[in-house]
Amino acid sequence: MEAIKIDPAKALDEVLATQRKLSVALDTLHKMDDVDFGVTAKEEIWREDKVVVYRFRGERAPTAKVPILIVYALVNRPYMVDLQDDRSLVKNLLAQGEDVYLIDWGYPDGADRWLTLDDYINGYIARAVDAVARHRRVRKINVLGICQGGAFSLCFAAMHPERVQNLITMVTPVDFQTPDNMLSNWVQKLDVDLFVDTLGNVPADLMNLCYLMLKPVRLNQQKYIGLVDILDNKVEMENFMRMEKWIFDSPDQAGEAFRQFLKDFYQGNKLIKGGLKIGDREVHLGNVTMPVLNVFAEQDHLVPPAASRVLADHVGTKDYTQIAFRGGHIGIYVSGRAQREVPAAIHDWLAARAR
Amino acid sequence: MSESFFSDATKQWQALMQQSAGPWSELLRAGAQSPDAFEQWSSAFRKESTPAETIERFMQGARDYVAFMQSTLGAAGAGQDGMSAWLEPLKRAFASQGMAGAMFNQPFAKLWPAQHAPGVNPFAATMPFNLPAQPANLQELKSWLSLPAFGLLREHQERQQKAAVAWVEYQEQAVRHNEQMLKAARRGFELFEGKLAEREQPGRQIESLRALYDLWVDAAEEGYAEVALSEEYREAYGALVNAQMRMRAQVQQEIERVSADLGMPTRGEIDSIGQRLQALRREVRGLRGGDALVDEIAELRSELDALVRNTVREALGEKTDVPRPATPRKRATPGRARAAEPGAKRAATKKKAAPRRAAAAVAPGGFATRIAQFADASLGGKRKARKPEAAPAKAKRAKTKQ
Repeated sequence: MEAIKIDPAKALDEVLATQRKLSVALDTLHKMDDVDFGVTAKEEIWREDKVVVYRFRGERAPTAKVPILIVYALVNRPYMVDLQDDRSLVKNLLAQGEDVYLIDWGYPDGADRWLTLDDYINGYIARAVDAVARHRRVRKINVLGICQGGAFSLCFAAMHPERVQNLITMVTPVDFQTPDNMLSNWVQKLDVDLFVDTLGNVPADLMNLCYLMLKPVRLNQQKYIGLVDILDNKVEMENFMRMEKWIFDSPDQAGEAFRQFLKDFYQGNKLIKGGLKIGDREVHLGNVTMPVLNVFAEQDHLVPPAASRVLADHVGTKDYTQIAFRGGHIGIYVSGRAQREVPAAIHDWLAARAR
Repeated sequence: MSESFFSDATKQWQALMQQSAGPWSELLRAGAQSPDAFEQWSSAFRKESTPAETIERFMQGARDYVAFMQSTLGAAGAGQDGMSAWLEPLKRAFASQGMAGAMFNQPFAKLWPAQHAPGVNPFAATMPFNLPAQPANLQELKSWLSLPAFGLLREHQERQQKAAVAWVEYQEQAVRHNEQMLKAARRGFELFEGKLAEREQPGRQIESLRALYDLWVDAAEEGYAEVALSEEYREAYGALVNAQMRMRAQVQQEIERVSADLGMPTRGEIDSIGQRLQALRREVRGLRGGDALVDEIAELRSELDALVRNTVREALGEKTDVPRPATPRKRATPGRARAAEPGAKRAATKKKAAPRRAAAAVAPGGFATRIAQFADASLGGKRKARKPEAAPAKAKRAKTKQ
């Protein structure tokens, strides 16, 4: 039996059909409006330099007494959590009665080149947490860290456990040297000092190139060939373009913070091996004694599940829960299943600890 | 791009389709190479000013895919039977350097020139990625560049030679990296053949060009991942990036010198100012005592307000509130921030503050009692004065509720 059983006549039809679709492709793309994003109403409650904390407004008043502060990664824009009306972690959390705040890091420029991880974690995050606590007149708040923001949140919670009621981490790397971590493999032999000294801030295009090269054919070619199938579907095309915008709308990385993140987290793996210092403070995950919910994605090509799962072995809390989500690094926010499962799981977990 | 441009391009494409579809079908069936109408059409866009990135990506993907389809179908139409009719053209493409061959021969290297995008490699214009250079030639060039310099301009010449050596070394590492990409492509094709063998069972056979392409993508990605996760690639990748950074650093140093000669501010000077500014900001926060101290004062004020309020209410016989934990305070400037204060200091501040507040609240004849007396006096004897020892008990309860 042959593996390929393609009828030549049908194959020719397939080629011609593809070419016909392509012939109208540019007209379709040209007629598309600019996509918008960030659908949920929000108000600014705190600002410092380029960093802004927003509070989202749901259709009804929050019922949760303790607010959630979302700490997103520096490497992408945080509107992924509120991408569009039917794909919004924020909107679904609000619908559950949660009170949701978010740190928007902005776009660092040359003036931010010397910002360190200490400035970010013991500075901006600490003050953002204070701002939210004051805004809601509570002593502690819930922190929800995402990806790199999850690693920052872990550091913050370890250094300031008295200020975090509950900690939620999503697709968060903890062990930065698992064998399936391609990014980690690539940076092990990098001369990070030379890299940052030369580049200053790390350009977003360079970061994006690295991400694309994790799955080069799929992300650079197959994805766009798949676009042919949805060219006649305006909604699908808008969804695609919105995602495309998010992927490439990336901030440059503040040089000094990037230097330390690569050296201490990726090359030193100090978050779990020990010896990590942020400013003058040592970070010990054993000090993370508040309840922890760790959500990771089983098909995550950026943060392999093993890199997150290991958190269970290192935190000091006796109240640790983890959820393995069937999906990828982005799907955990935007897939249909994610809309149903993730916000509800977070809310239920928090509600159980609010009693 | 103007609307008319898109419209014209589409018309051009449709005309090409009309001209080529009929004869092309015949050509395909006869096994000849298909006319590359799509390539001709899409080339029109390259002449325009920078197209939107998405469109360019889409076009690139579509170009490759159509090339794959055409070459596969064209070869299959040559009259071969069975699986070899499909596989042979892929193998030939893999071995060739042609358009479709690039997909299989160097698919990853082909994608790598994206590193020449603006912001990724600003010196790309002077550095074609696919160099014909052989490592031996590069070695010879390097040896010439290491000749000693003499005279007045020796320092300048030495720097320029150093920059040139960095350039050559980057080329060497690019060649090394390309070899890794070629290895990934070969491994991908081996895996592709294995995957095809798995599809020989009934019901699992590949029945469309798209399915064939998707299977190849799966195999290519697996082959790439094997290489990209290897120790050998780790070394090659690190060496490539480090070599590029050394070269960029050399060029930057030359630009610094030229800028200084022209009396222009340099990046080094701006960096230096930025570094000092950040250090100064941290120091200012430290001198202010940090936000921790300001927070502590705000908290104490808040609790004082609550105590006064509760004491007055108690004096009036009303229900008391739980003291508010903190009051939002107004910032003098948006840029004011917490000092990078050592944790021990912050903790010590809190530890000291807590007993002080408790003492004020519970001590007989202490602060709360005096406030109660003040409230009674203020009320002009409308309410009967409470016993002094009652206040501490209330204060304790309020504290517990926090």
